[in-house]
Amino acid sequence: MKELSITPGSACQGCGAALAARLTFKALGPNVIRHGVPCCPDTVTATPQVGTVFEGGGALLTGTSRGLKAIGREDVLAVGFFGDGGTYDIGFQGLSAAAERNENILVITKDNEAYMNTGNQRSGATPKYAITSTNPVGPKSRGKGQPKKNIPFIFAAHYVPYVATASVAFPEDLIAKVNYAKTIKGFRMIIIQSPCPVGWRFEPEKTIEIARAGVQSGIWPLYEIQNGHDFKLNYKPKELKPVTEYLKPQARFRHMTEAEVAEVQEDTTSKWQSLLKSDEMKQVII
Amino acid sequence: MSYEVMVGNKAAATACKLARVQVASAFPITPQTTITEYLSEMYANGEWDFDFVNVEGELSSQVVVQGASRIGARVFTCTSGPGLLYMHHPMQTTGSGRLPVVMAVVHRGYKGMQPDHSDLMSQEWTGWGHWYVEHAQEVLDTILMAYKVAEDPRIRIPIAVGYDGYVLSYTAEPVEIPDQALVDEWLPKNKAIPEVLPDKVSPASFGRGFGGERDPQVPWKEHHDAILKIEEVHREVMDSFEKTFGRRYGNAMIEPYMMEDADVAIVAMGTIAGTCKAAVEKMQKEGKKVGLIKLRSYIPFPVKDFQEWGKKLDALAIVDRSICPGKGGPVYQRMRDTLYDLKEKDRPMTLQFHAGLGGKEVRIHDFEMIGDKTLKAVKSKKVEEPVTWV
Amino acid sequence: MIEIRLHGRGGQGAVTASRILATAAYEEGQYSQAIPMYGTERRGAPLTAFVRIDNQRVRERMLVHEPDISIVLDPLIAKQQAVVDSLKAGGIVLLNTALKPEEVKLGGDFKVATIDATTIALETLGRPITNTAILGAFVKITGALKLESIEKAIKKYFPGRLGDMNIAAVRKSYEAVKGPIQAVVKSAPKEEKMDLNVGGYGVLKDVSSWRVFTPEIDMDKCIGCKSCWIFCPETAIQWDEAKKKPSIEYRKCKGCGVCVNECPVKAIEMVRVEA
Repeated sequence: MKELSITPGSACQGCGAALAARLTFKALGPNVIRHGVPCCPDTVTATPQVGTVFEGGGALLTGTSRGLKAIGREDVLAVGFFGDGGTYDIGFQGLSAAAERNENILVITKDNEAYMNTGNQRSGATPKYAITSTNPVGPKSRGKGQPKKNIPFIFAAHYVPYVATASVAFPEDLIAKVNYAKTIKGFRMIIIQSPCPVGWRFEPEKTIEIARAGVQSGIWPLYEIQNGHDFKLNYKPKELKPVTEYLKPQARFRHMTEAEVAEVQEDTTSKWQSLLKSDEMKQVII
Repeated sequence: MSYEVMVGNKAAATACKLARVQVASAFPITPQTTITEYLSEMYANGEWDFDFVNVEGELSSQVVVQGASRIGARVFTCTSGPGLLYMHHPMQTTGSGRLPVVMAVVHRGYKGMQPDHSDLMSQEWTGWGHWYVEHAQEVLDTILMAYKVAEDPRIRIPIAVGYDGYVLSYTAEPVEIPDQALVDEWLPKNKAIPEVLPDKVSPASFGRGFGGERDPQVPWKEHHDAILKIEEVHREVMDSFEKTFGRRYGNAMIEPYMMEDADVAIVAMGTIAGTCKAAVEKMQKEGKKVGLIKLRSYIPFPVKDFQEWGKKLDALAIVDRSICPGKGGPVYQRMRDTLYDLKEKDRPMTLQFHAGLGGKEVRIHDFEMIGDKTLKAVKSKKVEEPVTWV
Repeated sequence: MIEIRLHGRGGQGAVTASRILATAAYEEGQYSQAIPMYGTERRGAPLTAFVRIDNQRVRERMLVHEPDISIVLDPLIAKQQAVVDSLKAGGIVLLNTALKPEEVKLGGDFKVATIDATTIALETLGRPITNTAILGAFVKITGALKLESIEKAIKKYFPGRLGDMNIAAVRKSYEAVKGPIQAVVKSAPKEEKMDLNVGGYGVLKDVSSWRVFTPEIDMDKCIGCKSCWIFCPETAIQWDEAKKKPSIEYRKCKGCGVCVNECPVKAIEMVRVEA
């Protein structure tokens, strides 16, 4: 596998998304057309790049994929590398439609859980209680008041061939998933949690440590869903680490009360139990 | 050569087939809807090798064809009224991207369902060519010509072909269908090799240029200049269309009608220009020297043509089937800007008429009124009412 | 009118400093304008901000292209010749550095003043954020504003105890600033100018200026696990398969510290970049 990142780039120190891009494109190889919509710079790759309006990611991938078919170049892979804004929110409609049509495209989402490029505003991917500039803490607000959208399950509910979650702290798992997605046709999506030192407010050196804690605490479980039915949990520790290991180092959660932390712990534990059950049955009920 | 009595929307779909469009995408909206149905049916019947992408909204349809066009496929999309407004955002990326997308706009005013030109007029700023046509034959022919102009390496600008909803989209007329073999020869496959393929891309293009040293005004000037160039290529294509298929529409930019003996001209676009032709015939029989200059290309505007005609005429009655609220009629304002630099003795009078907005029916006697009012203004050397709502 | 340019790093308060100056000006009956460099700010990357102070409302709406005064908040950036670019002849550069003015190597026709604002900030605030600490020195060497105006402005941005601490920093630098003296080096040295305003998208040439700390690998301790190589977001670490050892390509290294944090045997150390 050859490095396709052209560095140094304009990302912040310790950018999780830059690493996500590096690992993704290294695994994908050069025979792709990379699609982007407005987002943080992460890293430039030695791949042709096309872009469009923020809400157009799904439609642009569709156009490329159909165009490649029309000119007899289906060997080239149409890949989207979008942020959470372009996936969960403004880009959701077009991606949902592309999934419903089972377009032959690969969508990779680098999820840093807010609109980071414009200065850390809340998104549908922002977890409950996280501070952002549009969800600050004050007498009337405790950070984000609503939970994070369950995008992997939402897209799995379009009955597409492949949806998976990944983490920059688990590079082999990420690369294996990209390599698998490369081999099949239809709508595929991989969501990579990409910690952001500036927005999540931690020292840049901790990017991988925090990503790892996210997985090990069950807050960012690693799993795959195929055809909206077959389920596999990729990382199953004997015991989950407490969520405090993930929350504490991030100042975006620093204001949380004991009760709020307990709520997050309870929620994480119960969701994990469901995933364990699904893994046992090897299926999800959607 | 064969023919079929078909509605305007079928003529548009037929043009797609003749042009061997490779990727089409659209979202249904009245009065464009049946185009999406014709194309879907043609796809299902395997009438030619293409893909029709059913999207969830008009904005996506614009982005789909933008993407496929970038890859080198010949594309088509279509919409009306609010659907066009919804597409506004990616329309400007198609324009700035210099992609040869052809789009049929089946006029629907955005304050209702019936036709007027507010939908396409309000997209002036998206950087496309804007053409307006009068009848079903012209719909078919013009869409074919739009591909040839848009894909010309000197141009590479998207083109919107507008025609009125209901009265044209759903009215059936006999349409001559050109021979597929002739069209294949006249409009060969789009040969552009997309630089965006991994084996064709230049490594120097990886990663946008840093520092922004380029003057940010340059992309605007380049885009503007490229659109102005459409006039030259459009005229060439009209000549070549006539040579191959035996039909032409004026000089491409305008279609003068019974102007040889006219002192004043009515300027109109779309279906009402057709009604105006009938009115002009009647008026000239009565000795009223009123002719029609049908405007076909609004962007780019036929500046030279109107400056020349302006010198020869006493007055122009400009009929705008739209108004920019708080600003005024687009063709009227563009016309006055065009005529401003003529010497005073050469400058004709100009009268503004609004007709057909909101789909209001425009009839022969309306044009007779317009003709009379214009002649009266010339006789009295005074424009009593600069703006008349017909 | 006085035109000021500030040099700092993303996340270190250069923009706040510009606002404090603008506020202080208005406090004493002058008008002002504070301009950040527009565009996306990258944490750790060098950036620029501008201030105009005048006795009438500032009309021009453009960047400061020829400052009277250049203020540099960061000791590493203070070594870059680019901080005195386009300084008006006879202008002043105020550097946050431990060097004395006569030791400064920047060349040209301008005066140099120095203040170790980092140490003052560490002493009074406990953090090396110099955006307020340097303002006392600014007042002393230029006389452009009154000390009490700066202090009033600081109280607006930092209420309560935080304000008091910042004011203490201001007063210390007011006393401790050295210079200004005419620059010892008369002409600008020939060197490739560093870009002191980094934002936007795309590939950069060299991000060494982003580093306050530099990672150094102890090859003897290294066990060849490849963690540092695989986790570097900028691919600044190369892996030599033959030697089974990593090496750092420093022009790509932003000093984020991920490699240091991930090394299982603590074979990489972060060394402070010499100011």
